Amino acid sequence: MARTELGSAPSMPVLFARAAVTARGRGGDLPDTRLARTGVRVAAVDLAAYDRVCGFPLADPLPAPYPHVLTFPLQVALMSDRAFPLALPGLVHVRNRIEVLRPVGADEALDLEVWAERFARHRSGATVDLCASVAAGGAEVWRSRSTYLARGATAPEGAPESDLAVSVGDLERPVATWRVPDDAGRRYARVSGDVNPIHLSGLTAKAFGFKRAIAHGMWVKARALAALSGRLPDATAVDVVFRRPLFLPSTVTLATAPVDGGWDLAVRNAASGVEHLVGTVRPLP
Amino acid sequence: MAPLTRKAAIVGGNRIPFARSNSAYAQASNQDMLTATLDGLVARFGLQGERVGEVVAGAVLKHSRDFNLTREAVLGSRLSAATPAYDVQQACGTGLEAVVLVANKIALGQLKSGIAGGVDTTSDAPLAIHDEMRRVLIALGSARTLRQRLEALAGVRPGMFVPETPRNAEPRTGLSMGDHQAITTKQWGISREEQDELAVRSHQNLAAAYDRGFFDDLVTPYLGLTRDENLRPDTSVEKLAKLAPVFGKDDPDATMTAANSTPLSDGASAVLLASDEWAASRGLPVLAHFVDAQTAAVDYTHGGEGLLMAPAYAVPVLLARNGLTLQDVDYYEIHEAFASTVLATLKAWEDPAFCKERLGLDAPLGAIDRSKLNVNGSSLAAGHPFAATGGRIVASLAKQLHEAGPGTRGLISICAAGGQGVVAILES
Repeated sequence: MARTELGSAPSMPVLFARAAVTARGRGGDLPDTRLARTGVRVAAVDLAAYDRVCGFPLADPLPAPYPHVLTFPLQVALMSDRAFPLALPGLVHVRNRIEVLRPVGADEALDLEVWAERFARHRSGATVDLCASVAAGGAEVWRSRSTYLARGATAPEGAPESDLAVSVGDLERPVATWRVPDDAGRRYARVSGDVNPIHLSGLTAKAFGFKRAIAHGMWVKARALAALSGRLPDATAVDVVFRRPLFLPSTVTLATAPVDGGWDLAVRNAASGVEHLVGTVRPLP
Repeated sequence: MAPLTRKAAIVGGNRIPFARSNSAYAQASNQDMLTATLDGLVARFGLQGERVGEVVAGAVLKHSRDFNLTREAVLGSRLSAATPAYDVQQACGTGLEAVVLVANKIALGQLKSGIAGGVDTTSDAPLAIHDEMRRVLIALGSARTLRQRLEALAGVRPGMFVPETPRNAEPRTGLSMGDHQAITTKQWGISREEQDELAVRSHQNLAAAYDRGFFDDLVTPYLGLTRDENLRPDTSVEKLAKLAPVFGKDDPDATMTAANSTPLSDGASAVLLASDEWAASRGLPVLAHFVDAQTAAVDYTHGGEGLLMAPAYAVPVLLARNGLTLQDVDYYEIHEAFASTVLATLKAWEDPAFCKERLGLDAPLGAIDRSKLNVNGSSLAAGHPFAATGGRIVASLAKQLHEAGPGTRGLISICAAGGQGVVAILES
């Protein structure tokens, strides 16, 4: 296994551009590479800007999804590299599981590591998991698994079946309605660095086959968790599937139900009821 | 027959370190800071998911969107969402008034427990649109025809695009609070040296209190701050003597500087109050009891009284009602809005003419033992996020009284904008 340490966060616009021009002719198995950064500090202004866009209060423990903002550039670096078998443009984030092993302080020095695993077969292509682990003081404090779907791609011989099952109970009761404005993608792009063109404008989204710009799945997830501020377990697993794209602008509803010391939740289109996100929050032992 | 009222117990408190304006908490809103402070209190006293009787707090500088600031903070905190809350505002008296309100409901048996607090930011201050522009936009909103809309828009002038910032000035006099206090300072002949000495003692006392761990169970770090940012443990009268005056500058003998006046600051505080039974049932301590409180106000516009002198009027009323003299107090907490506010108040109580003519007393209240004044530092050193000061003082005085032993008595005096004052007695 090769482990590469980066001195700073890679430039996301550069990575997205590189991924686009090198999209063709990819294949083979997942690279056995790990990308890492050590001693990463969260800048207070960055955290405050993220909190404002997602609706979190500015507090000392980081919001559960915040470390994703730190690890995501490394994952994009991994995926944009020529050794990665799938083309980044067109990859769709379909599932994200975050485990907060303990509350992470905004002033802690964090060690990040990302890698790809579980190349899997899916009825409309193949999926791959981009994993991240965050440690503080030598102990893992946070980890995540982001599953991406590549439509039309083929998983290697003998690959397992993709696992996108997150089951929730009855979620009939909407508890909140949000109007998601048409600049929601640009706003989250500014605070997360995720400048994937499908989120930025209708025009850039059309170029990638979407009728309008779509909200970042991780913003929808963060926004839902922010609505549960003060009501989340300290050590927790938040597992969501992104079902249908949330086109901008939209009005959506959040439905929640307390389950097993955590929550089941769903974000749906307010008019059509189309499900954008379904997930669970569960305390970790 | 059982007594109709009971004295509310002060169980403890929590605050975040106070920051200087546009510094460590520059990105934090009032709601962020109040929520963090409530969560710290929840953690300290095991209140997670609990329904407290009421949470009462407020902010002096408040965005219009924060009309329900305290309730919103409760909803974002770890308290039960079924905890009622409301906002109060009495300028710098907000925090102490919130304590009075909670304590009184507990005394009457209407509440078993409650949290009183306050928060303020001078960094994330509300900006209002120019008042004339506001009228234009209201007219535009109610316009029904294109012509009416154009007529409304015709009222726009370039100057209207400049927002209005909140000013630390009295609306009726146009003077800043510091310039008001400069008048009082001169009136009472308070010297620069006295003011600087009081400021230095505030820093030394606060630093010593931190050093002996006094604030370990009163303060929760926030956004990287573990102590009040304004604290200068190594300051000295010599250093402060070098500073130029900032208030009452028209006077060549101006004495009020940035060091003997409180800085603009950001922060929040909260105090947990309860009946003795509620505290005992949860195995929580009772640091002190809330005995009584009094407010007063003065006519600082036309009546010739100093803007911040109202506590001088409130205290004798409070003492008399409780059959006490000024010297029957073991610890005095006189909020240091300015060093000269404290000194003028003390001088007024020693002055036979003031006490007779203004307070209607036969004899002056007399001098106090200065070694019992603001023993753990006060606003000059800690900073003064307006509405957060009351909670800071109540929690630390209650702890001080508890440490000194049963039967120890403390007096709190807080002056406020608008010529008002809130004062209270605590007893362990």
